[in-house]
Amino acid sequence: MRTTFLAAAVGAGLLLAAVPVVAHHSFSAEFDADKPFKLSGVVTKVEWQNPHTYFYLDITDEHTKKVTNWAFEMGSPNGLMRNGWTRNTLKVGDVVTVEGSLARDGKPYGNARVVVLNSTGKRLFAASSQTANP
Amino acid sequence: MMLWVRVGVAATIAIAAAFYSAQAQDPAPRRTAEATPRLADGTPNLGRVPGEKGVWDVPYIQNMGMRIPGPDGKTAAERSTPGAGRGGAKAEPDVPFLPWSRAIYDYNSKNNSKYDPEGYCLPPGGPRMMATPYPMEIIQQPDQKRIVMIFEGATHIWREIYMDGRAHPQGEALNPTYLGHSVGRWDGDTLVVDVVGFNENTWLDYFGHPHTDMLHVVERFSRPNKGTLRYEALIDDPGAYSRSWTVAWNIPWSAESELTEYICQENNKYLQKLTDDFGEPLLAPR
Repeated sequence: MRTTFLAAAVGAGLLLAAVPVVAHHSFSAEFDADKPFKLSGVVTKVEWQNPHTYFYLDITDEHTKKVTNWAFEMGSPNGLMRNGWTRNTLKVGDVVTVEGSLARDGKPYGNARVVVLNSTGKRLFAASSQTANP
Repeated sequence: MMLWVRVGVAATIAIAAAFYSAQAQDPAPRRTAEATPRLADGTPNLGRVPGEKGVWDVPYIQNMGMRIPGPDGKTAAERSTPGAGRGGAKAEPDVPFLPWSRAIYDYNSKNNSKYDPEGYCLPPGGPRMMATPYPMEIIQQPDQKRIVMIFEGATHIWREIYMDGRAHPQGEALNPTYLGHSVGRWDGDTLVVDVVGFNENTWLDYFGHPHTDMLHVVERFSRPNKGTLRYEALIDDPGAYSRSWTVAWNIPWSAESELTEYICQENNKYLQKLTDDFGEPLLAPR
């Protein structure tokens, strides 16, 4: 349950190419692909809804020990189910690690690409709209 | 925050490179060795074979300017040449912009398609139906002289293509709609669909090529093998472009898939918090 920083996510990029893509709003208007993150925290809420599922984590900064509630956007429920999710995959109190891209506006908000359930190590793709054909 | 931003840049570049090499071309062919399925009368079957599943796995085509076939029949995307990115109109010499459409396109490029109507959960219009990355099916009903296309995504839309030889409605009888009025015929093994009657509430693509209600689209659907739908669309809009232009791409068959529910309008936080160029909320009272 601490903030972690990771640069070695190259393998994840290779895997992602095979994942079905969904899209709704402009990814790049809201998120910055040049600001990747990897964060761990405790699930406080899940909104299993169209067009995007959101979940919220309490994340403790490893230096200041300050707790911030972050929001993360994923794909639609049907897109998530194609990637192995159900509406009960994330439960309040679960500890998870999220990889994705930060919001441009600097708020505690990001687009999730991959979610890892820390208790099992299970790695799930979040049906992000970040990947695309030209 | 700056620390992990900096640390992450190298990883992002590596990830972007991996994405590009894997996705610059259309998805790997599946079932391309199998022959085109046909209906009893010999017409190509653009849908499922009885007893099997399957949907068309529509790709995420962001920029129609990268999908214009050149003299060799291949598009810039199929030749794997690097994309123009968000270079605006000047990066797309093959798109015959008029001055106003050039200016609008540059604006959409500069703001990263912030005002994309699909972000408001409005439907795609014209060829963007086949470029919005949710699966679709084509259901032929020759006894009823029609073809129905159903789309999981954008806004759970469907379209009916009249195959009974009728003409488009004329004058005010042609009501502008998001998906237009479609009449179809077979040209050999190719389904040719003529579409007019679009409203102006949509973009041609995610990158924001605009169109007017003068838009006339001629689509050509063919299935050269079981695993591939070849899609071509002539974009003829004298209100926005100085001449017609054609875009084309392949759509792979996903043999084990079925459509599921996707209702964009449920909880669209993007639109709820979208602000205009002056920082004012688009939806809230001013």
